[in-house]
Amino acid sequence: MPKDKARTKEKQSNLHGQFGERVQRLGVSDEDLIGLYRTMCTVRHFEYMADKLYAAGKVHGTMHLSAGQEAVAAGISLAVQPDDYLINHHRGHGHFIAKGADINLMMAEFLGKDTGYNHGRGGSMHIADFQSNNLGANGIVGGGIPQAVGVGLALQMQRRKEICICIFGDGAANEGVFHEAMNMAALWKLPILYVCENNKYGMSMDVERATAKLPIAQRAEGYGIPWACVDGNDVVEVYDSMKIAVEHIRSGQGPYFVETITYRYFGHSKSDRNLYRSKEEIEDWKQNRDPIMRFTKHLLQSEILDENLAQEIDGQSEQVILKAVEFAEASPEPDVSTLMEYVYARNILS
Amino acid sequence: MPVPFIMPKFDMDQEKATIISWSKKEGDPVQFDETVLTVETEKVAIDVPAPATGILAGIQYKDGDVVPVTEVIAYVLKEGESLADLPKTDSQALPTQPEVVSSPQEAPLSKPIIAPQNASVNATPVAIRIAKEEGIDLSKVRALGGNKITRDDVQHYMKEQQKPASRVAVPATPAARRISAETGIPLETVTGSGPRGRVQSADILATVNSRPASTTEIHGREAQVVPLTGIRRTIAERMQQSFQEAPHIALTIDVDMTEMEATRKRFNLQTEKLGQPRITVTALMIKMVAWALVRNPYINASFDDDAISLWQDVNIGVATAAPHGLVVPVLKGADHLGVSEINMRLIELANRARDNKLKLEDVQGGTFTISNLGMFGIRQFRAVINPPESAILAVGSLVRKPVVVDDKDRVEVRPMVSLTLSADHRVIDGVVAARFLSDLLAGIESPGLLLF
Amino acid sequence: MPEISYLEAIRQALWQEMKRDERVFLLGEDIGRYGGAFGLTHGMLDEFGPERVRETPISEATIVATAIGASLLGMRPVAEIMFMDFVMLALDQIANQAAKMHFMFGGRTTVPIVVRMPGGSGSGAASQHSQSLESILMHFPGLIVVNPSTPYDAKGLMLASLRDPNPVCFVEHKVLYKTKGEVPEDDYIIPIGVAEIKRAGRDITVVANNIMVMKTLGVAEKLSRDGIEVEVIDPRTLLPLDTNTIIQSVTRTGRLLVVHEACQTGGWAGEVIASVVGSPAFDFLDAPVRRLGGKDVPIPYNRGLEKFAIPQEIDIEREIRALVQGKV
Repeated sequence: MPKDKARTKEKQSNLHGQFGERVQRLGVSDEDLIGLYRTMCTVRHFEYMADKLYAAGKVHGTMHLSAGQEAVAAGISLAVQPDDYLINHHRGHGHFIAKGADINLMMAEFLGKDTGYNHGRGGSMHIADFQSNNLGANGIVGGGIPQAVGVGLALQMQRRKEICICIFGDGAANEGVFHEAMNMAALWKLPILYVCENNKYGMSMDVERATAKLPIAQRAEGYGIPWACVDGNDVVEVYDSMKIAVEHIRSGQGPYFVETITYRYFGHSKSDRNLYRSKEEIEDWKQNRDPIMRFTKHLLQSEILDENLAQEIDGQSEQVILKAVEFAEASPEPDVSTLMEYVYARNILS
Repeated sequence: MPVPFIMPKFDMDQEKATIISWSKKEGDPVQFDETVLTVETEKVAIDVPAPATGILAGIQYKDGDVVPVTEVIAYVLKEGESLADLPKTDSQALPTQPEVVSSPQEAPLSKPIIAPQNASVNATPVAIRIAKEEGIDLSKVRALGGNKITRDDVQHYMKEQQKPASRVAVPATPAARRISAETGIPLETVTGSGPRGRVQSADILATVNSRPASTTEIHGREAQVVPLTGIRRTIAERMQQSFQEAPHIALTIDVDMTEMEATRKRFNLQTEKLGQPRITVTALMIKMVAWALVRNPYINASFDDDAISLWQDVNIGVATAAPHGLVVPVLKGADHLGVSEINMRLIELANRARDNKLKLEDVQGGTFTISNLGMFGIRQFRAVINPPESAILAVGSLVRKPVVVDDKDRVEVRPMVSLTLSADHRVIDGVVAARFLSDLLAGIESPGLLLF
Repeated sequence: MPEISYLEAIRQALWQEMKRDERVFLLGEDIGRYGGAFGLTHGMLDEFGPERVRETPISEATIVATAIGASLLGMRPVAEIMFMDFVMLALDQIANQAAKMHFMFGGRTTVPIVVRMPGGSGSGAASQHSQSLESILMHFPGLIVVNPSTPYDAKGLMLASLRDPNPVCFVEHKVLYKTKGEVPEDDYIIPIGVAEIKRAGRDITVVANNIMVMKTLGVAEKLSRDGIEVEVIDPRTLLPLDTNTIIQSVTRTGRLLVVHEACQTGGWAGEVIASVVGSPAFDFLDAPVRRLGGKDVPIPYNRGLEKFAIPQEIDIEREIRALVQGKV
């Protein structure tokens, strides 16, 4: 939750370079910056824990991990309100966490437990919490993009101030519905923030081999939608662009399109052997462009954080994950006798 | 606590991985997420990162070993820790003698060939081979020409197996099969009118004389007339079976019908007022029998191979002459019905029997039968039990004759009827049959007892 | 009681519900000034305005997805797919999204949408505008597939569909649009998932949907004069299918024929037959169980060929006679 606390003079003197300039211009408080750091640490720990649980044979099926992409989720979350609506995609753990999901319930769903968000019916790919306006993650590439049109339309018809955030990957931008939806969203000036999380690969397909003209965001031009393409591993840059986008949308001028260039560390899913990219490339992103490392460096330089506090926060977010695993592992499996529950909603009329 | 380093699972259906090479050795420092070893699954090499930062220790497997996923392969020690810090449960994983699944130098043994069962059977090699190819269990094949099963024996057996089962020998619809089973009329005795001689329900139900010209005139339920075609044969078979299997005993008793007749008269004043049909002797008799059956459950029973079933329901069959032969419509739950109700149902059943309109349910489920030949002047006779029932009551003609009516040897002319109970001695002892008859007599001679 | 057409009955249901419940709105191609490809939404733009009679670009997948998205926020959208054939363009949104969301999200949301689609041949619209695809839609648990055959049923089922919390595919038949029948003006509901015995008979059960109900009733009337009494059952809802009514009927008649216009291979007749043959009704069958579906051919343009491609009264009559007379 952004709190625009005025920065003291002495603190400002520590703000340097592009980072400093941005922070000042945007008026982001220290609390907000530390919050971003905490969110990113939590997502990172969640994803590594997910991988560990999978390796330990405790996870059924597959999952899509967003380690390396934390800045996108964190940056968006600071720019929007908690009651804005989210339509998520299959690589969605980070976005849920950034939106403030209950980690225990997420982890329980991830392990297929009855106490999970969706009673073990959805798993990693379909976590949803309609009470917090989290409209679920989609396992069909691009499946959520046109649904955001409906959410935006309902918000418009109901004369409400919330917006709909719709996140998808570079691969989804080549699905037909992407174009149908962009056209309709622009036509009706719907309050939708479209975020294309370009992590360079659609499974194994390099975005350069799959997309005729880059950046992807440029396609918005054809629908008259304003757009931006930003460094998705710079959390402040992400926040900066999202803030502009959200202001545009809330003022009733219709949708906005932001592409964030980022990178995933893990394979597409658990059966990915990383045969389509080099070790050097992965290492380069990990060593030189890691969103958490970069952000931490800025925070330390600006003395917003010191080493101790940074480690403390990191340790706390790890504890949250460990507790969630404890909760999830102690939770019961859904009883097989409940299998047919939720196939049909009960009609109050009948 | 030392962090266990496990062989990771990479794939949904993966069970093990082969270690290609360790890039770190016992005692080396390792960083979290740094590659420590390379493993191979399905010909793909994957680098496995360290699960934590610390000292690599307690390596359990060497290069080339095949390791099940999630198995501990080593530990990472933090500062000041040693392998001794492992909790007891993990101590089995201490570097003692690691159990290696297998190593590539040593190809795993192929599974021993389990000798087929057939080997124990005395048969020629050719016979064994054919049996194996055809999936035949040789223990089921008989050696016709001697002590060894030959090729001919196997082939003969195969021919036998291919013969259609008798169930499908007669083409019939499911409904026809069900009715055949319920009525006991074998399908073989019925001429099927369907395509390729398929027996349809109407074929079983149709009577010889009223077989319609075309089945379109038969309308499912109306046509469910109890048949005669196979009925003659069925009766024959069942009577023979009954007489051979159930040791029949017969007991006779003479009852005075004076009170019954008086009761009937009183009842009929009532029916006249209500515009109902007149009560018949049979209706009253059924009521009496039902009452006596409730008091003597062994008469209302059935003999099974391993038990005697005492029926909860009292369903009394009434042997009735119909245009095409004998039918036995059943009055269900006679013990719960009043005489006027029994009477009306009886009339209904008799009409249906006369018109060949009896439904299947009308003739099923009997627990006891009454057969009355009195109208032909038969005074007394023995009936054969109607299986699966255990007893049948033969009712003779009403004869007015002088009887001694009190202990003073006073003689009066009374309407007398002779009742003979045939009982299955497997179920019913003589004394049980006698008690039933004396209860029945009491009821007939003092109908008021039914109110007791 | 007023006599109105099947098309007017559906319009009346939409009209009355939009008056009653402001969450209901329509979206689809050409449904405004044009009144819809078949004129079903005629007059609704003037009555309810462009926001609630919302015209869309030609984007079937996104039309359905928009309905889904809006329903997640409490709206009750009615999406029109101009011809049932185009539902294939939106099948991902129907089968992978709408049908699964309630389940996949552990009951945390419902998807109360109605997707209207006119199917069926007989109008010369040829291969890509004449299909009956209801059998395909029956393969997705979580979906409701409704298929009325009369104006009365159309209105009652539409009102039920609009008030049901589940996604409903409302399959209409373009040749039925002009057929007339008595329809009460007031509000009434025909329960979803309940079949109706349109005519009682003792000799054979014939299960039929949409246009085949009319055809079968005509044949039944004729055969009655020859002493053959046909029981005609209209499932009305295809998913969930009311197999109980059918099984009980077959237990009484001992014979079963299923008639539908949809192609025979993979058609829903197989579903009905499997349910019956696997039930206690098996022991009451007194004839083979038969189906009469459309021929396995794309619907042709030529009038004669088009008629020949789907079951007609003469075919239905021939099948019934053969079954009742024990000729098959």
